[in-house]
Amino acid sequence: MAQPSFDRRRVNGPEESFPPIFPDLPAEPLVTNGKRRDGRALNDVRPIFLQTGLISQANGSAYIETGNTKIACAVYAPRQLKNAQYSDVGRLNVEVKFAPFSSKIRRAHLRDVEDRSIGQLVYQSLLPAVQLHLFPKSSIDVFITIIENDGLESCVASASMAASTALADAGIEMLGMVVSCCSAINDDGIWLDPDTAEVKASRGTLLLAGLPALGTITNLWQAGQITSLDALRCIDACHERFKDLHDVVIDALMQSNRAKQAQALS
Amino acid sequence: MADVSAYQRLHPRAYYEKFLSERIRPDGRGLDEFREVQITAGSISTADGSALVRLGETTVVCGVKAEIAEPELDAPTNGYIVPNVEISAICSPRFKPGPPSEEAQVLSQQLYQTILKSQMIPANSLVIHPGKAVWTIFVDAVCINYDGNALDATLLAMVSALCNTRLPKAVYDEERNTTFCSREETVSLGIQKVPVSMTFGVFDSYHVISDPNSFEEPLLDSTVTVVLLGDEAISVSQGGLGLAQKTASDNPVQLLANCVDVAKKRHKSVQAALQPVA
Repeated sequence: MAQPSFDRRRVNGPEESFPPIFPDLPAEPLVTNGKRRDGRALNDVRPIFLQTGLISQANGSAYIETGNTKIACAVYAPRQLKNAQYSDVGRLNVEVKFAPFSSKIRRAHLRDVEDRSIGQLVYQSLLPAVQLHLFPKSSIDVFITIIENDGLESCVASASMAASTALADAGIEMLGMVVSCCSAINDDGIWLDPDTAEVKASRGTLLLAGLPALGTITNLWQAGQITSLDALRCIDACHERFKDLHDVVIDALMQSNRAKQAQALS
Repeated sequence: MADVSAYQRLHPRAYYEKFLSERIRPDGRGLDEFREVQITAGSISTADGSALVRLGETTVVCGVKAEIAEPELDAPTNGYIVPNVEISAICSPRFKPGPPSEEAQVLSQQLYQTILKSQMIPANSLVIHPGKAVWTIFVDAVCINYDGNALDATLLAMVSALCNTRLPKAVYDEERNTTFCSREETVSLGIQKVPVSMTFGVFDSYHVISDPNSFEEPLLDSTVTVVLLGDEAISVSQGGLGLAQKTASDNPVQLLANCVDVAKKRHKSVQAALQPVA
């Protein structure tokens, strides 16, 4: 990736460098006999590993792994809102950063447009859940680092779930846990939790985030060519998975709670 | 218990002195004890090499990405090694989001100098075609949790990731003026010896403690870093206020020599942790 500007705050490499060029791979079929390359069915999400407490310096933290996607999230809250006018309600800040080695092509260290737009999506997914009116004059800071990225939409979905788990770990009052599921559609059908290759091969993607406890939707992001009918089918497919995802999140929190209690007793 | 933690927050120096007078530290370590090191390598599939290092609670993830560039005109067979560390808001409440803080900048430079001086990757081992194509090795470390002593953890992560790195076999095509890489064949960087750093802190111009954590770091007068390569110390550096002498028998140079000795003793356990990676 060409580095057009000399960043005097970092160690710089050569002015221009290019990722290695490989011979083209023969196109691997993405679906065989109704099963995807990793053995999943079309409407299966990748197994999720979710754990809290990874970052001891933060008030709350969570680490999530789904397939190859790895995301760490830290919550520092509530913090004093400096340099700002008094506000009745708290402010939620979500910052997302992709690690330079997280994708096939190296990303620059500078925060670019993609970081900000992903941050905005996660913010929209979380905002309705956090009870900001209980935190006047405070800011709730959520920092997300994407260590490895296998599917942009699934990154957003996993980041939202990690963030809401970290918020719960930090003891921030919420209306419920946010879960999120993404889907891709093409002529074969609707694929849940698509990875990078599957997104590339699809016509369009749809991401849904919501609060299963209240039965509400907090965010919907659609990209690509999807007919209205297909969009509704995607929404239903994603929504069906919400209960399972919610169970995963609650499980992780219960485990962490038990660990904390055991530690307090010892 | 609440009183103790309040005392720790309000009077950190006095709290710490009470422990040091008993030759022990708040986390239970002796004065020259280092925290345990855990290294996991190769878990990031998008990177050419990667490592996750935990030094106590300090957690650093490092990934290596290799790209191809034209060499400098006056050094046609030298590749580039570009280490950078990111210490951002996620790892500690001390850091604000935004451009690299002073800490991160200083750390990146220190790591760059250490890797260069140690010659662990001779610059001409990265050449693909002299004058036309060389490898550029980007070594990016991200600190996930900052509990003091980021230098040791980050250097360990970087060298582990470099040991773990496999570059695709590259062939330069003169006609098309491009380099083509093989998907199947990979080459390792051929690293023989790795530099390992050990950091000590000086408290009250008298006590020398090893591997300070995030509670101890702000209380220190200065830090001493010893870099070992194989069995030799290739660099001893000190940052902060000079080592003053509290008693006649405390010679500042002797203090540094003591640090080097402690570092050498610890080197074996670090090498054991690096063994599965190197």
